[in-house]
Amino acid sequence: MTLVGRRKLVLAGLFTAAVILAAMPWLMVSYAMVWLFLFAVYLTLAVSYDIVGGHMGYMNLGHSTFFGIGAYATAILLNKGLGLIPALVASAVIVAAFAAAVSYPLFRLRGAYFALGTFGLISLMGVLSTNLRDLTGGSGGISTPPGDHSLPAYYLALVVAAGTIALNRWLARSRFGLALFSIREDEEVARAFGVPTTLYKCATLVISAVPASLIGGIYVWNVTYISPSAVFGLEIALSPIVMAMLGGTGTIMGPFLGVVFLTLVQEVLWTQVPYLHLTMYGAIMVLVGLFMPGGLVRTPLLQPIVRRFTAADAGKHLPALGLSESREVS
Amino acid sequence: MTADLIQLLAGGILLGGIYGLAAFGLSVSFGVLNVLNLAHGEFLMLGSLLSYCAFVHLGMNPFVSAVAVIPVFTAVGVVFFLVFLRPLAEKPPHELLVASILVTLGASLAIEDLTAFFWERPVTGIDYSLAPLEAGGVVISLVRLLILLFICGLAAALQVYLRRTFTGRAIRAITQCREGAKVVGIPISGVSALTFGLGVALAASAGVFYVTLFTVTPVMGIPLTVKYLCVVVLGGLGSLVGSVVGGLILGLAEALTAYYVGAEWSPCIAFILLLTILIIRPQGLFGTES
Repeated sequence: MTLVGRRKLVLAGLFTAAVILAAMPWLMVSYAMVWLFLFAVYLTLAVSYDIVGGHMGYMNLGHSTFFGIGAYATAILLNKGLGLIPALVASAVIVAAFAAAVSYPLFRLRGAYFALGTFGLISLMGVLSTNLRDLTGGSGGISTPPGDHSLPAYYLALVVAAGTIALNRWLARSRFGLALFSIREDEEVARAFGVPTTLYKCATLVISAVPASLIGGIYVWNVTYISPSAVFGLEIALSPIVMAMLGGTGTIMGPFLGVVFLTLVQEVLWTQVPYLHLTMYGAIMVLVGLFMPGGLVRTPLLQPIVRRFTAADAGKHLPALGLSESREVS
Repeated sequence: MTADLIQLLAGGILLGGIYGLAAFGLSVSFGVLNVLNLAHGEFLMLGSLLSYCAFVHLGMNPFVSAVAVIPVFTAVGVVFFLVFLRPLAEKPPHELLVASILVTLGASLAIEDLTAFFWERPVTGIDYSLAPLEAGGVVISLVRLLILLFICGLAAALQVYLRRTFTGRAIRAITQCREGAKVVGIPISGVSALTFGLGVALAASAGVFYVTLFTVTPVMGIPLTVKYLCVVVLGGLGSLVGSVVGGLILGLAEALTAYYVGAEWSPCIAFILLLTILIIRPQGLFGTES
């Protein structure tokens, strides 16, 4: 298949998908729409996590703090009488400022320490949102002005998810993205070659925080109620990361596959078994870590299919997990 | 007022000793394995629950169980290492990092969730006390004093073990230079397993004291692991003195915050300390510039 032919095929596929998704509310029962809304939330979180976790190689386990702060900020601003769009934009600015503020000290940590440090950020925010009762409503949570927003929220979430994927893809192909890859492979070498590593790392964290904040705001606008345990809990913190890891970080297909796979598993398995969800997450994480730390897209079984669909960037970016590239070459 | 303060400091120092003990376990196993064990806090929790059971059902003295859990949890740690971490050892660095975080955090979640599932009571504490000492209006619980002495003894024993025995020297050698240790014929894998077991045993032993002073819940493991990270970063990597001092600082800071600001704010202080130390002195108080 020629490159032009493939590009046309991909565009046609994307267009069909967009039409189907846009028509979904009229085709299906509302349950499917709720499910697709959550799917878009997880997809946005997984893909925006991947900008830091996949491209730059820093495991930001606290990615959901951006989601949570975005949700809280939007809820508070909506209650103050702001419209949705100003509220979303203002909370995105707040979250970006927050990300910039924490990025400086946190990026002094590396590897597992960075992961654990960012993980600690979640519990800090959980405590703050519980303690600052006047602002956040404490452990009782906060409600936004009621109303049925499920249809516009669904479209907005889809737009944000698509935008995040586009952002991720554009970043991966830009000069900036190349700098991020070099940081992931060897930070000292990257710095020696003139990459301003500290600045780029902070900028990347801010970039990845914005989609998470937006989707958090849309989420709270749709469900009209959040509590500290809902947005700063373990499940919302870990599932997007597990999804990105399961699918394969540092690729476009990876997080997407992971989200599809895991949301289907949740749908089938977890509605049958009401407890031990975290144990199952834990087991999946252990298994992925032990047997396929590269994720689904890098397992030999799926290689041919993945290569076929992502061949354009696969040649350059697929073996993107640390030293696996040099191993493949040798 | 002064009496209050002294009592507060005593409580903080004790809490700090417990933190320091477990944090050193984390630090030493990181030094040897290059793997940060995110399930570390879970072993403290399991040690607490085990000693709780031993106390309630067998009437076992906490000080006896603090010693008894050491061999038990060394074995648990060695098995954990062999099953989950040994297979990762040969992976390249970046893959090792991702895989080890996934495996240890996954194990940690599973342990926590399973324990919460089978442990019907959410919060547990034991009622073990001795006659308190009283001096000049300051009441100091004898149990707490004994625990502090016990922790000091354990730290001293550990220091002797690391300095004087062959295995202890091997552990320090691997921490300093892995390749060099390999060249002179130190069995890396065996020593790694033992070190990991030791780290886990220290956490479990600290857990026994934890349950005599505080209540224990199955979900406390992950926040505790974050606290140990703060202690380890605060004190500097791989330093026993650093871990103990870092633990003391955290313990005191938590006690003071709980008293002067409010108990609901004390969970924050560890993280604020972490951010502060990272801005001022990223290598830690006792760490060396690398």
